[in-house]
Amino acid sequence: MTQQPTEQPTQRSPERPLTDTATAGPSAGPRRRWSALDVWTTVGPLAVFIALFVLVVSLRPAFLGGGGLAIVATQATAILLVALGQGMVLHVGSIDLSNAANALFCAIVLAQALGSFGGGAIVLVLVIGTVIGVLNGVLVAFFQVPSFALTLGTLGILQAAGLIVSDRTTVYAEDTSLLTPMFGTAMAGLATAFWIGVVLAVALWAMLRFTVPGQSLTAVGLNETGALFSGVRTRAAKISAFAISGLLASIAGIMIIAQAGSASSTGLGSDLLLPGITAAIVGGTAITGGITNPVNIVFGALTVTLIPIGAAALGMPSEAQSLVYGLVIIVAVALTISRRRVGIVK
Amino acid sequence: MANPVTREPSEQSVSTGRRTRPHHRFEVRSLGEVGALAVLIIVFFAINPSTFLSIGNIRTILDQAATPLIVGVGATLVVLMGAIDLSVEGVMGAAGMAFILTTENSRGSVDLGPLSFVVGIAMGAALGVAAGLIHTRLKVPSFIVTLGFWFVGLGIATVLFGTETIPLLPDGGIKAWPNETFLGLPHSFWLAVLVIAVGWVVTRFTRLGRFTYAIGDSEEVARSNGVGVARTKLYVFAVAGACTGLAGILATLRLGAGAPTVGGGVLFLTVAAVVIGGTSLGGGRGGVLRTTLGVFMLTVLTNGLILSGVDSSIQSGVSGAVLIVAIIFAAWPHRSRLRIVK
Amino acid sequence: MTRSTSRRTAAANARPAAGSVDGAPPPALRLTRITKTFGPITAVKNLSLTVERNQVVGVIGENGAGKSTLLKILSGLHEPTSGVMEVAGRPVQFRRPQDAVAAGFGVVHQEQSLLSNLSVAENLAMNALSSTDNATRFGWYRWRQLNREAAETLARVGAAIDPRAIVGDLSFVDRQMVEIARALRVDEQTHATPLVILDEPTSVLERNETAILEREIANLKSVGSVIFVSHRLDEVRRICDRIVVMRHGEVVADRPTGDVTEDDLFKLMIGHAAKADKRSDAGRTVGAQNLVEVRGLTRRGEYRDVSFAVRPGRCLVIVGALGSGRESLARTVFGAEPFDRGEIRYRGDVVSSWSTVRATRNGMAYVPAERRTEGMVGGFSSTENITLARTGARPRFVLNRAGQKKLAREWFQRLDVRPDDIKLSLQRFSGGNQQKVVMAKWLQSDRLRVLILDHPLRGLDPGAAETVNDQIRIARDAGTAVILLADTLEEALDMGDDILVMRDGDVTARFDLSVDTPTTLDLLERMV
Repeated sequence: MTQQPTEQPTQRSPERPLTDTATAGPSAGPRRRWSALDVWTTVGPLAVFIALFVLVVSLRPAFLGGGGLAIVATQATAILLVALGQGMVLHVGSIDLSNAANALFCAIVLAQALGSFGGGAIVLVLVIGTVIGVLNGVLVAFFQVPSFALTLGTLGILQAAGLIVSDRTTVYAEDTSLLTPMFGTAMAGLATAFWIGVVLAVALWAMLRFTVPGQSLTAVGLNETGALFSGVRTRAAKISAFAISGLLASIAGIMIIAQAGSASSTGLGSDLLLPGITAAIVGGTAITGGITNPVNIVFGALTVTLIPIGAAALGMPSEAQSLVYGLVIIVAVALTISRRRVGIVK
Repeated sequence: MANPVTREPSEQSVSTGRRTRPHHRFEVRSLGEVGALAVLIIVFFAINPSTFLSIGNIRTILDQAATPLIVGVGATLVVLMGAIDLSVEGVMGAAGMAFILTTENSRGSVDLGPLSFVVGIAMGAALGVAAGLIHTRLKVPSFIVTLGFWFVGLGIATVLFGTETIPLLPDGGIKAWPNETFLGLPHSFWLAVLVIAVGWVVTRFTRLGRFTYAIGDSEEVARSNGVGVARTKLYVFAVAGACTGLAGILATLRLGAGAPTVGGGVLFLTVAAVVIGGTSLGGGRGGVLRTTLGVFMLTVLTNGLILSGVDSSIQSGVSGAVLIVAIIFAAWPHRSRLRIVK
Repeated sequence: MTRSTSRRTAAANARPAAGSVDGAPPPALRLTRITKTFGPITAVKNLSLTVERNQVVGVIGENGAGKSTLLKILSGLHEPTSGVMEVAGRPVQFRRPQDAVAAGFGVVHQEQSLLSNLSVAENLAMNALSSTDNATRFGWYRWRQLNREAAETLARVGAAIDPRAIVGDLSFVDRQMVEIARALRVDEQTHATPLVILDEPTSVLERNETAILEREIANLKSVGSVIFVSHRLDEVRRICDRIVVMRHGEVVADRPTGDVTEDDLFKLMIGHAAKADKRSDAGRTVGAQNLVEVRGLTRRGEYRDVSFAVRPGRCLVIVGALGSGRESLARTVFGAEPFDRGEIRYRGDVVSSWSTVRATRNGMAYVPAERRTEGMVGGFSSTENITLARTGARPRFVLNRAGQKKLAREWFQRLDVRPDDIKLSLQRFSGGNQQKVVMAKWLQSDRLRVLILDHPLRGLDPGAAETVNDQIRIARDAGTAVILLADTLEEALDMGDDILVMRDGDVTARFDLSVDTPTTLDLLERMV
């Protein structure tokens, strides 16, 4: 992470600036090698997913006919939403360990409130989730506390809040008719809820790529000091990243209720937190910040969901699943992790 | 880890003074943590005069603290380097299962006697080495590698657990060992004291420990000072894995049965304890004894709240709030517009 | 262990060549036609230099004369592009800092290389040879012995520093003393004849500390050799046996101290005692009102009671040596650092809650000295960097990609940025071209009013430096107020309308070049 402050490139620096002479001709040698890497950065997560999917289908063709992809997409929806939020926070160089707990808390609140308030309950949880995200962001930006420790604390508080609101039992939503279209309807064979996640991913991608605030987020993630000295509102950028994470967590909470109709404070979102982070990273997000492609996070989420489902479909003993999961994740990350900013790896 | 990196603009103040501040082994700020712990103890004693400081409850607190204390020693070493180890819960499960299946158990698999302890610790250390190798050789951030090894450890534990009956420890014998007392205090606590003492000696008196601090301050400067950064990192991950393995064995003994999820909740507790104790996630500052204080603060708080009749639901909330207050206090004096915290 | 192996070979190298022809011992260090290039920039050119045993050699030169590169070569941080380096008559190659230590080289760098969270004693013991040092034998720290040895070493340099103190708690001066002590310790730790290299060690030291250092250097002369780099010419003359003057990467003079006067050295160093021309504001848009006005500004530990004013179309140059506080002053004006007392007026109004965001919005621009870490976002393309600055109100939410590309192309052409690829990430350009892009980032704004530049030419090849200077002049002539922290005094006299000289946080002189015509020597005298 530390960039060499020296003026001249040293032999050690991973990215040697081109010398003028070396690049006098159009697109000199080293350029092409780098663009191959760029291509892999772009399609890597998709390739990893397709490779895994093809592997599963070729060994168990029934997986394709049995609506395997639809199952994967349905299961991936909540993970995708949480992972997109995580991706935005990672994009500014921070981390949000509380967003899965936030999602679960929102799900519990929604289950309690849906019966009496209907659509109002949905608005309520969207606001709650976003406010929690904003609070995280404000504490990180203004109190200058490390996001890892802060959101770990928020995670604990949200866990407690979830337990209290649910009175430690599974909370069933009284009337989920409002939310049934989410998983009750499908487009191209995949649940509507999943497509909402995809649309949000594309929207975030467009935001990062085509808008001024998106550029600010990227600048903060790549070099916060450099952004600050260019007059970028670095604190506002961080707060908005956390706010997006909170908003997406609340949408994930809504999807949990839409899918299951109930939420329980046990598990405490940890079965969403780790897959969320993993999906973001398998989607090519650099935890050093500045390199996030929300569209690739879709494939990251699909990969992360496919591993256990595919392993089960292949008849792998259920007790080996976790092991397979861990190993595949490490391999997938080693393949897709952005090597553009390796420097000092911590 | 890559995220919580704290960099302050170097203060190059042109001082005219010739005075050197005396060296404090225990910085003034750590008195704050000791004081906070003392206040907690006094408050809970005042609320529950008959129960809180009873011998039985003190033993309970010490026994409960033992597992996170042992994990905390390894976790502190890793955090001191500026890295992080998220794999502890999985590694504890793997080590615990490896231990119970090689000692006398209801499944009657193998009985290696005392060697089973070595097997458990070796399992932890091996997972640590593997994670360390991937981290240093393939340059994958420790955050991600150890995240993967959480699942790998959990997977090994689940495979070892298999589909047969739950392996149980026979009553008496080693199962009772953690709760038996020596000088009035439980064995599990004495084991933790031993590990802490070794951890303190390592960080204070050995090159491995001092290099750990050096790497946490600045990998670049450490390297230019002749520190073998990759090797030191590998050793530290191995030591942390061994500590976690031992903690997995202890947790299995206390449970009396083999379970892959024996380490549940330990990660949150130890990371929070490390940070509350005052070890910086950016690396280079803090120490093993500080983490001990952090673990005791959280354990005493939980125990005291339950004794005081507070709904146990809010325990994690209280721990979280304490963590947030602690980091805000720690960060407050260093605030500066140019400070980059991630 | 590779470390001990390399030590053995280097130590063997350091032994005098067997059967030297003449009786005289070979020189401690001989450099023959050393050249070091960084891409298009030649930092050191055909440098030959000999340091005899028991000799103190002074190296002087302006910033950018190649001194730092020379020292980095000697300390194993850079390998020379060509040339031969001999230690005690044996050719050596330093691939790593440890090789230099093993050959008996102890270096005090300008930028400090101590671990701030460890104690003084540990830092003194921590170098390539610590594994064989008694106090840390077998990886076990014997603290008493470690502290005692450290206390002895510190006592040698007369530093009253507790060896158990944490380095981060020490003042800058004390840390400098620890670095010096560590370099001087090299003779205890190696069997090679020590060669101690001091890079401007006295620039922040006080008189009595300097005296101690001088005494220590004299002691060291009896056992080894010393290379002493300094700005303070009186000191160089007092301490050194021979003085080497560098300019533009070459040795321009190498003389016994007795043969040169301070004035000679000044002239050799700067080339000629450049003198300011009388300035006129002809052809410029000069405003009547002060655009930036600073009154009694103080930041503890950095600068005291500084006042100045800049009008549109004029250039204020602030000169000062290391520790003058001018860098911090410039950052304060841009809103990046706080101040304790005084006020900053911008366009007549006292600024409150000033920040980089507000400064930028109000038409201020800042080009920092640390280009890679502060001046640019290396992972961004040039286009993105050029359009990154949030100058003025932004009606747009959506990036105007086509407009940005057009703008980038225009500025690439105007500043002759190479390679001509506006999509390539900026970190892959050479330093000079990066700086051109950083300049374009600010110059493209039509709201630019104040341009603050901190060492804008640092590390630039002459062509890029000329382009950057031209752009500064164009902006100034168009009515931008310029505050420049210049690298060299010639640059200061060349660019400035007003010159502010600072030393140790105080303003020591002011020149209005429409009235005064100071020479580089006049400025230098007030800086050091």
